[in-house]
Amino acid sequence: MQIEILSKGEAEFHFIDPDDFREFVRDKKTRDWKDKLMDEKEAIKKFVKDGDYLAYDFSSLTRGPQSLIREVIRQRKKKLWICAKFTLLESALLAGGGCVEKIDVGFLGFGEYIARKVESGEVKVYDWSNGSITYRLLAGAMGIPFIPARDLLGTDTFKKSGALAIRDPFTNKPVALLPALNPDVALIHVQEADIYGNARVYGPTVATLETAMASKRVIISAERIVETIEFRKEPNMTIIPYYLVDAVVHAPFGAYPGGTQGYYEMDAEHYMKVSSIKTEEEMQKYLEEYVYSVDSHEEFLEKRVGMKKLKELVRKAEILEGFR
Amino acid sequence: MKEFTDTEFMICQAARLLEDNKTVFVGWGMPQVVALLAEKLYTPNITQIFEFGAVGPQSRLPFLRGTMGGPQNTYRSLQWCSMALAFSYAQAGYIDYGMLGAAQIDRYGNINSTMIGEDYEKPKKRFPGSGGGNEVASYCWKTIIVMSHEKRRFVERCDFITSPGHVIDGKSREELGLPRNTGPWRVITSKAMFDFDEKTKELRLIGVLKGFTVEEVVDDMGFKPKIADEVVELEPPTEEELRVLREEIDPYGLIIRKGRVIKLD
Repeated sequence: MQIEILSKGEAEFHFIDPDDFREFVRDKKTRDWKDKLMDEKEAIKKFVKDGDYLAYDFSSLTRGPQSLIREVIRQRKKKLWICAKFTLLESALLAGGGCVEKIDVGFLGFGEYIARKVESGEVKVYDWSNGSITYRLLAGAMGIPFIPARDLLGTDTFKKSGALAIRDPFTNKPVALLPALNPDVALIHVQEADIYGNARVYGPTVATLETAMASKRVIISAERIVETIEFRKEPNMTIIPYYLVDAVVHAPFGAYPGGTQGYYEMDAEHYMKVSSIKTEEEMQKYLEEYVYSVDSHEEFLEKRVGMKKLKELVRKAEILEGFR
Repeated sequence: MKEFTDTEFMICQAARLLEDNKTVFVGWGMPQVVALLAEKLYTPNITQIFEFGAVGPQSRLPFLRGTMGGPQNTYRSLQWCSMALAFSYAQAGYIDYGMLGAAQIDRYGNINSTMIGEDYEKPKKRFPGSGGGNEVASYCWKTIIVMSHEKRRFVERCDFITSPGHVIDGKSREELGLPRNTGPWRVITSKAMFDFDEKTKELRLIGVLKGFTVEEVVDDMGFKPKIADEVVELEPPTEEELRVLREEIDPYGLIIRKGRVIKLD
């Protein structure tokens, strides 16, 4: 029996053969109970390379890995291909830092700056959708080469993606096949992790586990480092087991200017400042002030944000139900 | 005299369409406000689903823009889950309504939220893209599209079809493999309401906001839609709707104050 291919999206897409991924996991990822705690600088230097496919989770507003993103920019990584599912300002800042060559788009924020980068052709975009990118990560996490789904069909989004439509041998109807996505590296911010990489998040997850499982390298930043016993006490709450993780960074306020549930609210003023950036000049001024001119996340918090502001954001985070 | 923004009208009209004891997939921005108003006034038992993985939150007021996924709009959810699961609820048929905005719409309800221009590589104007819009339009049983009523937004063929309507370039949803009996159900604009002709699946004018005429509405479109035998007059926002919107839901006017002001005697 031959499966009939009905149509084919035209985009190139990042793809790793599941057998190659498995061998990478066998040979390059450790199952040792090893202390993986390090700072942002070391983690990004070790695990993010020029030309990598980079994914991150959750969103710019909530529990996004902003201290890690700033470090990627600070180290002036180049030619990254980024996975922009459900994110806003990371794509703009990374493009502003000259780090990005290609973007797989679920939702391409933020605002005029990134729109202009696309309009001028400086950044190449591939249109998918939040759902199709997430299903691709799910396939990558499952170790399968593709996943069938019933979105994208018929649209220009399909044509500009890397999906295929086939006649499904079970129903005899067209169905989309989405290629698995296995990023080179994932940046994930969590509320709690131990030094080995066991991690848990409170709140909805977008694709926290799928992204970690699917990625060759995983850097976790955590508001808080806890003892391993905390995971054993509530195993239902463990989202990421240690053997998926390559580096653990202790990063209080790591999601700033976004918020982290149970810890602090987002800084709406700072967020507006980023989202209103329009020109190259404004972007470079912003990056100079908040990224390049400080050496670390600690220095950023001390010198560019300050205790007063942090206190205010902690004060606003009064809703704790479900977050502890 | 009654004064309101066309955004307020669209929000109220959309909220009136939702049914109680149903599920609705809620997108970013205006749909959040529609769901809040509906929950407050018309559908206290509607279950909201958000793409980032919140099922059935009990909304906290006032609405704060930018809280997509934060404690404010995931408060007292029934379930927190992943995005893959949230979309799968819709793909498996559990979600009754979806609500979307659009930059362009065509005769068959295909919508564009990706780019304007003829050359995809060099867009005249780039937008955020699908987000979860393609899934909402593909999977939900009934999709409601809410958009500003402007000539340039109603086009024969979208510059880019981000999310599917009823017919794309001559092919029906079923031929394309999309779930059976789904698709855009109503289009609410700042002046009018449309459904889709049962046979031809073309956009059909069924209601016009009080104070406007059918001619005015049709003149403001890039193509001539079908027109129902009886076009009803759509009520402007009621005092109660406006009070709840302005005082309880969006006192800062983050969403509702956008758009043109309409004055009615």
